[in-house]
Amino acid sequence: MIEVREVTKRYGTKTVVDKLSFTAKPGQVTGFLGPNGAGKSTTMRMIVGLDAPTSGDVLVNGHSYVQSAAPLQEMGVLLEAKAVHPGRSAVSHLLAMARTNGIPRSRVDEVIGLAGLSSVAHKRVGAFSLGMGQRLGIAAALLGDPAVIMLDEPVNGLDPEGVLWVRNLLAGLAAEGRTVMLSSHLMSEVSLIADHLVIVGRGRLLADTTVAGLATAEGVRVLSGDPANLRNVLGGPGVTITSGGPEELFVAGRTAREIGMAAAHYGIPLFELTPKTASLEEAFMDLTRDAVEYEAAR
Amino acid sequence: MKITPGGVVAAEWTKFSSLRSTWITTGVSAFLLIAFGMIASASFSGNGMSAVDLALGGSTLAALAVGVLGVLLGAGEYTTGMIRSTLAAVPRRLPVLWSKSLVAGLAAFVVMTIGAFVAFALGGMVLNSAIAGVSLGDDGVLRALFGAGLYLGLVAVLGVALGILVRSSAGAIAILAGGLLILPGLVPLLPNAISDAISPYLPSSAGSAVMSLTHSDGSLGPWAGLAVFAGYVVVTLGAAAYRLKKTDA
Ligand SMILES: Nc1ncnc2c1ncn2[C@@H]1O[C@H](COP(=O)(O)OP(=O)(O)OP(=O)(O)O)[C@@H](O)[C@H]1O
Ligand SMILES: [Mg+2]
Repeated sequence: MIEVREVTKRYGTKTVVDKLSFTAKPGQVTGFLGPNGAGKSTTMRMIVGLDAPTSGDVLVNGHSYVQSAAPLQEMGVLLEAKAVHPGRSAVSHLLAMARTNGIPRSRVDEVIGLAGLSSVAHKRVGAFSLGMGQRLGIAAALLGDPAVIMLDEPVNGLDPEGVLWVRNLLAGLAAEGRTVMLSSHLMSEVSLIADHLVIVGRGRLLADTTVAGLATAEGVRVLSGDPANLRNVLGGPGVTITSGGPEELFVAGRTAREIGMAAAHYGIPLFELTPKTASLEEAFMDLTRDAVEYEAAR
Repeated sequence: MKITPGGVVAAEWTKFSSLRSTWITTGVSAFLLIAFGMIASASFSGNGMSAVDLALGGSTLAALAVGVLGVLLGAGEYTTGMIRSTLAAVPRRLPVLWSKSLVAGLAAFVVMTIGAFVAFALGGMVLNSAIAGVSLGDDGVLRALFGAGLYLGLVAVLGVALGILVRSSAGAIAILAGGLLILPGLVPLLPNAISDAISPYLPSSAGSAVMSLTHSDGSLGPWAGLAVFAGYVVVTLGAAAYRLKKTDA
């Protein structure tokens, strides 16, 4: 279990993570989503204790990771940037990590096999391709047979076979009751693996939901002769109405049926009533639109 | 499965021994010590230097090389990104610094002590006829040879500490070279009274006192000198420990 509580991280004056709270629970895959620069990697570095939060707490399995007696058994991590000396072989790298935590040599060979690195196990890591580097990072994360697995953009650079491998691996680990958390900025990728979604933008929590929950966060497009009146009639708790054009409204929180009935009741003319099922990708884009830090010029 | 001090030391030894660059730097250090010792032994014919002083004539360059070895081990963690893996595995952090220092210091001590004995043996064989030969049993000879190993072992630890402290190989090597080579050249430019007072306490003069057979006036005694040098190492280690523990990796 990973618990992030009211965590804020500032670098100088820039607030990169802003009072972020969420929990990644055992037995499920938590997808950690957000546009570039949203603060995902920073949050993950704080979870593993590499960066200290400016305020707030992070707990791994109920306590601080830093105090753990057997950290690699507690949590395995793959971080964004390469975290390996390029002059060392995969075996030596994993062996050095294993020894710190008293993990037997046999486990090193096991994870090398698991990650499909047997043929390059003795090659210098500096000569590895991006995908092989990712596989080595995942192998390192699995070294301690950890209860929590946290991976920052694990499928980055993997070929289709590798992507499938990661997907099955993570699903299997969650099914065994472990906590699995992975970050990505691609909804399409995460929705295939994750049950639980934590979406951030500019360091703030935008949504803490499920894949199904996000998919049904849909709305209805309404064209009406009297949009102002319709707005008044439909308003209420849990309803958001945005205007698209002079006659156009976009209503979230009411079904097309409810809107039609209300319009008929108050005699408001309707020209069009279109339920809009946002795709996951669209829902994600809508959520994060205002929070995109680095946007291409249009 | 848990973190133990022995496990962290074993891991640091695995890291040390699995890099070609550490072996090359260690080899170069020993080679410099022996080669320059032989050259000095063969060519020097003046006064004031004993056969042991000449045999250890390569110690200044060897110190630089062995310091670079320490720096590569320390700063290399940061320049390669390995520090993230290292600290994820040992999140308490400080055991990494102690273990790395121990491994680098011990390895340098063993190799450079052997190097000092080899330099002494080979230097004796090519010794300039104007210099009186000495044997291992003579007063202070063993102390000087083991002292060379101790001093160079401590220099390796200093390199590790500097590397972890400044997190950049170039920066740490510059500080190391400045402290060991450039400082001793600058101090004599100061007014005599000041320069005479501080010279013995410079890292290189304090550290090499233990290797010197002939104890000149105004220099520290062998063990006092080594203790002063160890003090520099301890202070640097303390600063490195502080930065490692307190700042984001
Ligand atoms: N050490 C640091 N010093 C200053 N700013 C930093 C530091 N680390 C990260 N940042 C800034 O924090 C913000 C969040 O970065 P972070 O890497 O956490 O984002 P991310 O969500 O992982 O993005 P991506 O999807 O591109 O990986 C960025 O604007 C980045 O420039
Ligand atoms: Mg990132």
